[in-house]
Amino acid sequence: MPDLEEQLEALSQAIDWPPTPNVRVVLPIHREVSGAARRWVRWVPAMAAAAAILVVATLLAYTPTRDAIAGWLDLHTTIHRTPQLPSPSPHPSGPLGKRLGLGDATTLAQAQSEVAWPIWVPASLGRPDEVYVLVPPYGPSGGEVTLVYAERPGIKVSGQTGVSILITEARGKVNEQFFGKTLGPGTTLENVSVNGHAGWWISGQPHTFVITDANGNPYFGTLRLATNTLVFDDNGTVVRIEGDMTKDQALKIASSI
Amino acid sequence: MEGRPADDSSLVSRAQRGDEAAYEEIVQLYQQVAFRTAYVITGSAADAEDAAQEGFVRAYRAIGRFRRGAPLRPWLLRIVANEARNRVRSSGRRHQLELRLSEGFRPGDAAQSPEAVAVASDERRRLLAMVSALGEEDRLVIASRYLLELNGEETAAALGIPEGTVKSRLSRALDRLRSRVQEATDA
Repeated sequence: MPDLEEQLEALSQAIDWPPTPNVRVVLPIHREVSGAARRWVRWVPAMAAAAAILVVATLLAYTPTRDAIAGWLDLHTTIHRTPQLPSPSPHPSGPLGKRLGLGDATTLAQAQSEVAWPIWVPASLGRPDEVYVLVPPYGPSGGEVTLVYAERPGIKVSGQTGVSILITEARGKVNEQFFGKTLGPGTTLENVSVNGHAGWWISGQPHTFVITDANGNPYFGTLRLATNTLVFDDNGTVVRIEGDMTKDQALKIASSI
Repeated sequence: MEGRPADDSSLVSRAQRGDEAAYEEIVQLYQQVAFRTAYVITGSAADAEDAAQEGFVRAYRAIGRFRRGAPLRPWLLRIVANEARNRVRSSGRRHQLELRLSEGFRPGDAAQSPEAVAVASDERRRLLAMVSALGEEDRLVIASRYLLELNGEETAAALGIPEGTVKSRLSRALDRLRSRVQEATDA
């Protein structure tokens, strides 16, 4: 009888592997942030190509000009670079959720029961002080959850939000854009890696943040100024960590999620 | 399984200059080993498909930083395997790896009788079941080296461990598998 290693080598020829899906490069995406062209690799099925075309068409319809498109974050977030920021909505009075357009105050357990993805809570920050849920028609389809950390050591309370840190999470779907950020000239955008996932660190001058609906139309009711923000896409869950913190602090929080 | 270093070098150079067709060719060359590597890690064809897809997207984004002349296959496998592990981690579950033998597979020895072929096939099936039932660490290193036919560098890249660790881990895994085979034979 052949020895064990020979038997194992023979096995490799005999295995019935699942069929390998076919992959091809489908679509170049216009991009100005890094200067390099960005392209998508998608599986062959026509649906994927159609979805990509729909996304681009939606993007073009949503933005005033092609040149306004500064970047593209996976399938769920768009970033626009403009010479002048649009005016954010004036802060309404009242509780935090209303002021920042976060939705309804709830508990972590209740929020979890309302959304389909496992809500990420960073271990380094502990349990949030407040939790909000924003559901359609005011939030993205699938809902959006925001964790509020009023004060945390080493991170000052933001003049924009009135709290130390906001963590916002929502589920993205192909051909739906949920988040848009518009960056003025004083805001920098940097690619980062978060637990192996692509992420973006947006810092410098405050920038505007807006929720877009499933058709890619901005919901201006929540247009507000955001402070430094780390955005990353964890297998379809878009996570934003926002606050007056350094990039290292943000990455540390993200890595503890 | 696919690809040749000389071809890789030319394709990488072209892809780094923005030649989409060159990157498509790279994808075609390596999609099978990438998908199967992800499948061994996740145990799920759907997760493996997602991991391979996302891995190739990330690799494309990073191709500008790829060091020319370095072997491409381990670099790609490292990226795809990372994606596969992330999926396992984020989902909090790992599927049981289910590997089957091809029904139509016949070993090259034409002189074997039908009975001998049946016995050999049964032995392979049992061995495959034993590999699948190994602990994760043992299963991954054995599957990488023998079932995926990755070399030491590629196995190290796929498992995210140093190449020296591959050797020691493989040796221990083979010892444990050998013991199980022996126990089954003695029973």
